Amino acid sequence: MAERVVAVAGADGLHARPAALFVRAAAESGLAVRIGRADGESDVDARSILAVLALDVRRGDEVRLCADGEGAERVLDRLVAVLAGEDADAGH
Amino acid sequence: MVLRVAAPLAGTVVPLYTVPDRVFADAIVGPGVAIEPARGSRAVTAPIAGILVKVKPHAFVVVAPDGQAVLVHLGIDTVSLAGEGFTVLAAEGSPVAIGDPVVDWDPAAVRDRGLSPICPVVALEATAVFDAATGPIQPGQALFSVAGPGTGAPLS
Repeated sequence: MAERVVAVAGADGLHARPAALFVRAAAESGLAVRIGRADGESDVDARSILAVLALDVRRGDEVRLCADGEGAERVLDRLVAVLAGEDADAGH
Repeated sequence: MVLRVAAPLAGTVVPLYTVPDRVFADAIVGPGVAIEPARGSRAVTAPIAGILVKVKPHAFVVVAPDGQAVLVHLGIDTVSLAGEGFTVLAAEGSPVAIGDPVVDWDPAAVRDRGLSPICPVVALEATAVFDAATGPIQPGQALFSVAGPGTGAPLS
């Protein structure tokens, strides 16, 4: 099980646009990536935009990403980059 | 199971690809349509019956009993207005019926701030919508239909 904790950097947290980009990146990874609040017990399917929006992650909130399987470390590094803002606002 | 989605506001239905935000225009958030608000349009209403799982001044999500979910986004980049000019009328977590008012806003004021008031209405747990309306529409009229969750191809 690979795991990362990252603070969400997008100006507006994980609202519709950055959430959609994150969810797409998670889905494209081919792994069953999970995301939850770093201070929480539960996590949700990172490939579901509904579940990710419902987490209501704000800027600066820490989230935990988990994944199992081949390439999980690399996949999580990529998703951390998305959440850390390196291309969280690629829509512009 | 097919979910019929109703227009949440008065305006003109346009294709999603005309929305000036690539993430909506490319249906990355989900498939759907957009509504260019009519002059004087104020109340934005629930497009489906279900639970109002998320409500912010500039966007809200209703989840149907079958798990399908619809996001209504009021304008583009309107999160930057931090709620100014928007009044939330329904409580997060409450049940809503089609036509129940959720947010009151003034699209003309959004336009005056240099932002687009166009409203994407998208299905969050679907790969496609069908029977989409075009042209002028009133709140509550049929906007599009969508299959239940888990019936389409997985996101990829």
